[in-house]
Amino acid sequence: MTHTKKGAGALMGHLVLGYPTLQESIRTAEKYVEGGVEILELQIPFSHPTADGPVITAACREAVEQQRVSMQDCLEALQTIRQRFPDQEIMVMSYVNRVYAFGPRRFAEAMERLNIRHLIIPDLPVDDAQALAITRHANIKLVPVLAANATDARLEKLLAAGFDFYYLMSDFKITGSTFSLHPRLQKVIGQIKQTAPEARVGIGFGISTPEQVQMVYAAADVAIIGSALIRAQEAGGLETYLSSVGSA
Amino acid sequence: MTPTQTAYKDLIFQSEGYFGAYGGCFVPEVLLPGLQEIAAAFDEAKTDPSFLDQFHDTLHTFSGRPTAFTPLPRLTEEIGGARLFLKNEGLNHTGAHKITHCIGQILLAQRLGKRRIIAETGAGQHGYATAAVCARFGLDCTVYMGKKDYERQRPNVYWMELLGAKVVAVEDGTQTLNDAVIAAFKDWVEHPESYYLLGSAVGPHPYPAMNTFFQKVVGEEIRSQCLEAAGRLPDYCVACVGGGSNAMGMFYDFLDDEDVRLIGVEAGGRGTRPGEHAAKVLHGQLGIFEGYHSYFLQDGDGNIASTHSVSAGLDYCGVSPILAYLADEGRVQFETASDEAALAAVQRLARVEGLIPALESAHAFAHAFELAATLPKDQVVVINASGRGEKDLFITMRHFQEESLVAYAQHLLK
Ligand SMILES: Cc1ncc(COP(=O)(O)O)c(C=O)c1O
Repeated sequence: MTHTKKGAGALMGHLVLGYPTLQESIRTAEKYVEGGVEILELQIPFSHPTADGPVITAACREAVEQQRVSMQDCLEALQTIRQRFPDQEIMVMSYVNRVYAFGPRRFAEAMERLNIRHLIIPDLPVDDAQALAITRHANIKLVPVLAANATDARLEKLLAAGFDFYYLMSDFKITGSTFSLHPRLQKVIGQIKQTAPEARVGIGFGISTPEQVQMVYAAADVAIIGSALIRAQEAGGLETYLSSVGSA
Repeated sequence: MTPTQTAYKDLIFQSEGYFGAYGGCFVPEVLLPGLQEIAAAFDEAKTDPSFLDQFHDTLHTFSGRPTAFTPLPRLTEEIGGARLFLKNEGLNHTGAHKITHCIGQILLAQRLGKRRIIAETGAGQHGYATAAVCARFGLDCTVYMGKKDYERQRPNVYWMELLGAKVVAVEDGTQTLNDAVIAAFKDWVEHPESYYLLGSAVGPHPYPAMNTFFQKVVGEEIRSQCLEAAGRLPDYCVACVGGGSNAMGMFYDFLDDEDVRLIGVEAGGRGTRPGEHAAKVLHGQLGIFEGYHSYFLQDGDGNIASTHSVSAGLDYCGVSPILAYLADEGRVQFETASDEAALAAVQRLARVEGLIPALESAHAFAHAFELAATLPKDQVVVINASGRGEKDLFITMRHFQEESLVAYAQHLLK
């Protein structure tokens, strides 16, 4: 498939491992890559995804309660996806309790073996001692998830720590809400780019249309889509949807 | 105090939210500025004499503190062991200890110029108290409540609404306190300028230490009341533990009195299998959830387990990181009481002493009755009656007098 992209941005597609089944989530990841998703964001489901909206929460619940996917299942699914796409950029997203229960070091080593370099754990401040317990043992970076209220002091501290991917919340919303770009994000992005020109900035939460993807590309490097992809998949229109946002 | 003994009291307010390995502030970055703002305001307020005056004055004039310290002579005689006393936190305005940290936090919110308050509630007592202080101080109030709790604690929903609060029934998950906490945090993400008035000694820093600070007045009163009534300090202090606010309120002042034994009673529910109880210190594992590192009821794979208790206020998966730390240190001992034992304790206290405790508090009584029977008569056991039982009308009445309840419901429908 060829893509005639207008912007220079990259598309990051999120999915929940184990939803609607483990096999189907692997198949969905393949469809994402085939449909032009440049970065896969694969969520290891947690029973109580505190930062997610209703669509992703329902998907996580289904995966945990009905499909009963274990951490081991998720690692095997990641292995399958990695083998199928050896060079694909993959970020793994979960909540801190799942990583803690598995063992931070063991988890970090598993990620390293899978050639995964970035972890998104929204309820783990990236400079907490528990975060260091993960990153100390492997060549792995956490992704700060920031919003427009990030203080200058906080940003300076994170920038000094050398993160290379910043995930910005489009606005004060949970995932899957209607999209808007908070006006102060521009300033946050400016500060990141000034201090760390090599770092990539992604924006997510509520993105669904090609126009919104373009708006994000105008401001940042990566557009992150989650709930809208799940909704498209549930409606049986994943390929069409991917080609519409993929050519933005 | 021997020189080697740990000074727990100092540690709790000087620890920046870490109690041993526990506590912390595990929240999305978007919530950090709001939490830091509250933590900074609390740090200032806790040594500001004018704030403390206003706090104690409001406790007195609005909530009726100090609360009574009541001997239980008939039960003491019936049981035939240690002398029993209760601290009647149920005499507070709105019927439970919760209003104490609500008054503290609403004054803090006011100091910060906040206009809108968000809260979660389980039994409805924290929500009810929050709604009352919001009305009293003229702030907008939204309370999240799991749908199951909304239904089983309906009288409190009504009181909250009468006080002008908006009560949202949360339909996610098991529809209990846990889901209400998550919904409240999501509201805060969407409205970061609001004040989240969290209702127990749980959650991210500064809530565990801050709510303990406001609640510690309970133990301070017990100290002087017990000296006066019994001529000595308590040998045992017994409190029920949901999140841990009433227990920390009772225990804090005695933490460095090594002869005062402190016992937390968790909900034993209807069994020891997962999903049948809410005993996190005794049956939980360490984890990090809802902003803090502590013991949680969970499966072996890091997913949070469902809980059960006849009392909505104890039906929660986590426990205060301060109590987790004190449990590991051996300073607080943990026990359980079953649903049945709690219900029986309500009836016994009502019949023998003329007092009706909340189902939550009844867990502490159930254990204390067993404990007292094993102790010599000169020992003193103090039980924290964290709340009064009126809110449980439809639960206890169904249990004790189901036919009357049905007849009354039919009468109302006529
Ligand atoms: C009367 C009463 N006691 C105890 C509790 C349990 O909370 P905590 O452990 O924070 O005191 C509640 C909670 O709703 C309550 O209403």
